[in-house]
Amino acid sequence: MRRTAVRTLAAGLAVAATAAGIAATAVVRGGAPQTAAASSHREAPLISQDPTADNTDLYAFVSPDKPDTATIVSNWIPGEDPAAGPNYYTFSPTARYDIYIDKNGDGNPDITYQFRFQNQPSQFFLGNTQQTYTATKIVGKQSTVVGKGLLTPPDNIGPRSTPNYGALAAQGIHQLDDGTTVFAGQRDDAFFGDVGAIFDLVAIRNGTGANGGGRDFLAGYGVHAIALQIPKSMLDNGTNHTVGVWAATDRQKVSVGGKSHGPWVQVSRLGNPLINEVVIPTDMKDYWNSQPPSKDKQFEKYYENPILATVLQKLYPQFGPFKDTGRSDLVAVLGTGLQKPALNFTGPTFADELRLNLSIPPTPFDKLNRLGVLGGDLAGYPNGRRLEDDVVDISERAVGGTLIGHDLPLGDGVDANDVPNLHAFPYEPAPFSGFDNTKGVPFPTHP
Amino acid sequence: MRRRLFIAGTAAVTAAAVLGLGGAFRSSGAAAEPDALPAAVAAELQRGFAAGDTAAEVAGLQGELRLRPHDVKALSTLGLAYLQRVRETGDSSYYPKADGILHRALRLAPHDLVATAGLGQLALARHEFRDALALGVRARRISPTTAGVYGVIGDAEIELGRYRAAFAAFDRMAALKPSVASYARISYARELIGRTRAAQRAMELAASAAVGEREAYAWTRVQLGLLELTSGHPRAALRQVQVALDSFPGYAFALDALAQAHWALGHRAAAITAERAAVARVPLPQYVGFLGDLTRDPKQYRLVDVIERLLAANGVRNDLDIALFDVDHGRRLAHALVLARRGYAERPSVVGDDVLGWALARNGRCREALHYSRRALRLGTRDAVKVFHRGYVAACLGRRAEARDLYRRALALNPHFSVLWAPVARKGAAS
Repeated sequence: MRRTAVRTLAAGLAVAATAAGIAATAVVRGGAPQTAAASSHREAPLISQDPTADNTDLYAFVSPDKPDTATIVSNWIPGEDPAAGPNYYTFSPTARYDIYIDKNGDGNPDITYQFRFQNQPSQFFLGNTQQTYTATKIVGKQSTVVGKGLLTPPDNIGPRSTPNYGALAAQGIHQLDDGTTVFAGQRDDAFFGDVGAIFDLVAIRNGTGANGGGRDFLAGYGVHAIALQIPKSMLDNGTNHTVGVWAATDRQKVSVGGKSHGPWVQVSRLGNPLINEVVIPTDMKDYWNSQPPSKDKQFEKYYENPILATVLQKLYPQFGPFKDTGRSDLVAVLGTGLQKPALNFTGPTFADELRLNLSIPPTPFDKLNRLGVLGGDLAGYPNGRRLEDDVVDISERAVGGTLIGHDLPLGDGVDANDVPNLHAFPYEPAPFSGFDNTKGVPFPTHP
Repeated sequence: MRRRLFIAGTAAVTAAAVLGLGGAFRSSGAAAEPDALPAAVAAELQRGFAAGDTAAEVAGLQGELRLRPHDVKALSTLGLAYLQRVRETGDSSYYPKADGILHRALRLAPHDLVATAGLGQLALARHEFRDALALGVRARRISPTTAGVYGVIGDAEIELGRYRAAFAAFDRMAALKPSVASYARISYARELIGRTRAAQRAMELAASAAVGEREAYAWTRVQLGLLELTSGHPRAALRQVQVALDSFPGYAFALDALAQAHWALGHRAAAITAERAAVARVPLPQYVGFLGDLTRDPKQYRLVDVIERLLAANGVRNDLDIALFDVDHGRRLAHALVLARRGYAERPSVVGDDVLGWALARNGRCREALHYSRRALRLGTRDAVKVFHRGYVAACLGRRAEARDLYRRALALNPHFSVLWAPVARKGAAS
């Protein structure tokens, strides 16, 4: 839910935010204010967004340096300000974090990884942001703990609190019992995009947007990531070699009269990028977030008749016409995978998953094309998604009609992350530290 | 605690303005024109206004709307931003602004969820609970799967005294989307029905869901502190409040809770310092009133009157709040009873029951008071204030043994439930 990056910044709660930010709060998160002015003295914060249960981005790709494995990176907590201390970020110990893998295209998970985090004593007081966690793997009805007492690295606070951050973070890479490699902890947000402009009515700062000039709204901000590197042999179904991946977050239900809490309720999910922001209407966002991909047929009409195309037509008639109904091309790309050309089709079930064809070899780092399949690079989005894929440009062009003969070089003018991604697991770069906060304005020195 | 009633409805007063007002009051006396005063004061206070966190958003959105005056999303967002500004600053003149802008959004898009629910929020903040309920129901028709609409509905039902419906709405909200918002409401409902420990557990979940959001996190810690205070544990309250202040230094809600905890621990000077700091940031009438109780400074009480008038001028129905304050302080008792009856009609909840019963008792109408004071405790709320009021009614009816038991019960729940009335309870309990 990319909305998020902007809006947590905004939310009017903690950090100073931009107008675009708070606009995005309503635009994207839409829904009724999440926390009401409860009458009486219990008046809760007006806009609270539960960032620790907010899926921001999901990536799935064949590991370029270990092509016999696939890597899944799932991000949470949008817009972590490295300099927000003493309010450091952690995974929520009362949430459950899920990564789902569908091997047969029916929209149901065949392999699930679940993560629960625990705080250490004295959390927050001494800036202790290190957490332990448990990883559970579910295959069919069989649930197995595959990792226990695993440690996240601490957040990157600065050279005094967290010196040699690269080495510290490397200690956060662990092996699970099933042969999978795992990392959980703070990372730089690899997403890039001129989010401020996108939510300002898809404002394009420069031409059609293909010529740079955008502002990377996420530059300098962090996220919390869970990354998995899984042997392909555990994923490949042997026929179409394509897996569908999505991530979600659950919180426990409580009731006024209830004694304990539970069961788990899904409060956020993410398969393809930007769906919650751009495709799902405001009134449906909570519901969409609560549903599994196997029930996505009910949302198909929003993919078929995208609001964004209507908006583009209204704002940029000179670039039109933009087709905003009967978009079977988008339904295929986002809901079933592409059959023609054969890329990552998983069958007729419409389900919002990131579909990765494991048999397509990874493109070397120096050759990859940020436009992925649209740029002739079949190892990129919408075949899975790499950190380098420019999903804002790809999505704008796809909605604009690239696949149905209306090829327009739309874009937001931001083509890459502000810092280079790693060429090895967990690929997403180290977070900025609070100490070298890139957003602060230096105060002149004086004697 | 003293704040059973007062809402975070707020007024346009900053630190500087508070001082200025005190002066104005001394010279002009309390006989100022009721209608002229709020406007003049508001204008005066505007200037002393400290910029809060969403000031930039508000300015930005206003700029957007100059370019695109029919942008429904910008309109409804600005409406919400105005509501947030009240929270940050205490300036209730944002309420009419929010009202205007949200209605503009709704005229352009009659089925806009954000504008509809936003107007529901506004109605709640102004204690227009029947309107809030109607707006919540309208929002539910627009989107029955959006958790937030059940928050608006449930909050309104609570204040209308329809607890079964309110709790069902909260349960639905928490089932649709467990979050800070729904956990906090479940916590409040549990507190109302006397499940204090369970209320704390739900609020701990809310705190955990608020990590990463400074105000939301600090707010949940303050609520946990207040729950400790109402159960007579000021030291535990202090710890919660300190966590809130660590993560949000200068947070007005936390400073007020800090003052209460200090007072309960017998640190009167520290309590006064903390409450002054709270008032300097967000001058809610209950903060100013508590400061008056701590300092015994009648100037503070006059300031409460001014703030209440400002609130009323900005559309807040605060009859019940004013009634409680006046009855508590033994002022204008006959008039307070009129206000309490009027407030009760708008807010027939256990809060309304309690204030009306208290007002009746203090006017010597003890038989009638008994009915309401009993009703105020019908949910089983473990609230020392309500139990004390019930004891006062018993005493007033000449039932001395019953009164003594009730006073003892109130003090057992929370020996520091009120600066003014806890000593009365102690005397009565000892007799």
